[in-house]
Parts: sequence; structure tokens; C-alpha cells
Amino acid sequence: MSTQQHVSDADSASLSLFSLTAPVAMGYIPLGMVFGFLFVQAGASWVMALAASLIIYAGAAQYMMVPMLAAGMPVSAIALATLLVNLRHVFYGLSLLDTFPRGRLLRWYTAFALTDETYSVLTTLPRGTPPQRMALLALLNQAWWVSGTLLGAIIGAQAQVPLDGLDFVLSSLFAVLTVEQWRARSSPLPLWTAIVAYAVASVLVPQHALVLAIVLSISVGVLSYKREA
Amino acid sequence: MQDIGYLLTAILAMGAITFALRALPFLSARLLRRSPVVQHLGRFLPLAIMTLLLVHSATGSAREHANGPWPELLAIAVTALLQWRSRNPLLSIVGGTALYVLMRNWH
Repeated sequence: MSTQQHVSDADSASLSLFSLTAPVAMGYIPLGMVFGFLFVQAGASWVMALAASLIIYAGAAQYMMVPMLAAGMPVSAIALATLLVNLRHVFYGLSLLDTFPRGRLLRWYTAFALTDETYSVLTTLPRGTPPQRMALLALLNQAWWVSGTLLGAIIGAQAQVPLDGLDFVLSSLFAVLTVEQWRARSSPLPLWTAIVAYAVASVLVPQHALVLAIVLSISVGVLSYKREA
Repeated sequence: MQDIGYLLTAILAMGAITFALRALPFLSARLLRRSPVVQHLGRFLPLAIMTLLLVHSATGSAREHANGPWPELLAIAVTALLQWRSRNPLLSIVGGTALYVLMRNWH
């Protein structure tokens, strides 16, 4: 009787795990496909597309690297761009510190796999959720991303598609992330700061506008704290 | 893109940086949480950086053709509106990108 009970609990747990990651799957499979497709179309092999989704596992950075690698840019420039694109992830872990898995392997894997979507699903879990479930959920999400990548890479390897503007998918992804950050904002200042900083930076140093704009924005961020306090 | 060594180096570097950023809070939690400036930046920076990346990548696209920046502005407005109303990233990204590809290829 008690074993029976145990089994059905485990069943309902894995069922709800699937239903928790289903919305992520709906996004990760097609968006992973777009990455695999674009990367293979740019000239990489499907193995490299797979390696990127297994090792990097960060959608925006992976979209960003496609034109950079195709242009043969130095690894240092690509690394710097990755740092900027993913800087926000530092702040994700901060809010999950107390609930995160304690075991070494589970903890490091879950940290590795802390994408925007996994973060948002993890924050909706009730307190006291077993750490194995958190790690499994993160793993399932990465499995969706990797499967999508593989599928897209296989399709992309079949034929060349001469469509201009497909790489706009990166801008669309940034637009989506901006809207979500805007929804969660405590003040509209960061958005206006960024727009003004970018305008100023592209007049001053057109070649390095993004880097200068980020430095300017961080400065405004620090200064606006002092004013508050 | 055929140079496996170059691709793998870039992928490993990107993987290491991404992992370091995601794991940092678990290594230096006390330091980060005790600092009110870090807390403030945690609220300030994500929206600022995401806006910068959006503006940067869209202006990059706008410089590639003669009709910029109108297709970019329209496609971003549509993407943002879709996301604001639906909260469905797939719908918003596919809708915005499809509209943009249409505008760039059939004019």
C-alpha cells in the first residue's frame, strides 16, 4: 500500500515537472531550432551547433556569436560580448541562494543551467521543493534547447536559404527580454539612461559605442544609488 | 567557420564566462548581498543593459540596408507589443522576426 502510494506520488511529481517545463519547451525547441539552423547556414557543422548548446547554453549569446564567428572576429571580442550579454545572470542567483540545491553536483549544474526561463520557473516553485526536482527541471529545459538545436542544425544542413534579415531574431529576443525587465522595473530610469548613453556614446566613439554606453550606464546606476541614500 | 579549433575555443570561452556569471552569487553570496550598491545595481542594470543590447543590435541591422531604421523600429514595436500583451516569447520573437524578414525581402 505504502509503495503504491509512493509510486503514484512519484508519477504525479514527474507529470507536474513536465507541465512546469512545457511552456519553456514551446519556446526552447523552436528557438533552439533557429539557432541550429542559423549556425549551420553560416557554415558551422551540426556537431559545433550541438557543442554550443551543451557547453554555453545561453540563447542570446549563442545568437550573437553566429555573425561574429562568421566574420572571424577574435575570441577576446566574442568573450567580452558574452560577458555583457549575460551580465544580468549574476543577479539571478542572488534571489535563489536560500532555496538552491546544497549537493555539489546538483548545485553547480543548476547554476550552470540558470537561463532566463529556468530562473523564472524556479522562482515560481513552492518553498521546500526538493533540490533534485529543481536540478531535474533545469536539466529538462536544457534537453529541450539541445533537441531544438539538433533539429534546426539538421534542417539547416539540407539547403541554403537566401533570406535577408533572419538574424533579426536576436533583436527580437532582446526586445522580449527588455519588455520583461520593464514589467519588473522599480523605476523607468534604467531604460532612459541606456537610450541616452547609447546616443552619446555613438557620437563620441562610433566604433565602441556599446562598451562606452555600458560604462556610462553603470556610472549612472551607482550615482543614482547615492542620491537615493 | 570550418576552423574547428577557432570555433571550439570560442565556444569554451563563452561557456566558461556564462558559467562564471551564473555561479558567482553562490561563491560570494555574503559579499554581494551585504552590499547595498550591488543590490541597487541588481535592480538597475538588467533593464539598462537589455535596452542597450536591443538598441545596439537594431542599429546594426539598420546600417545594413537603405531603408533603415524603419523596418527595425516597426518590427521591434510589434515584438514588444506582442510580448506585452501575450507574455509568450515564442509568439513575439517569431512574429517580429517574420515581419522583419518580410519587409527586408519583399519591397
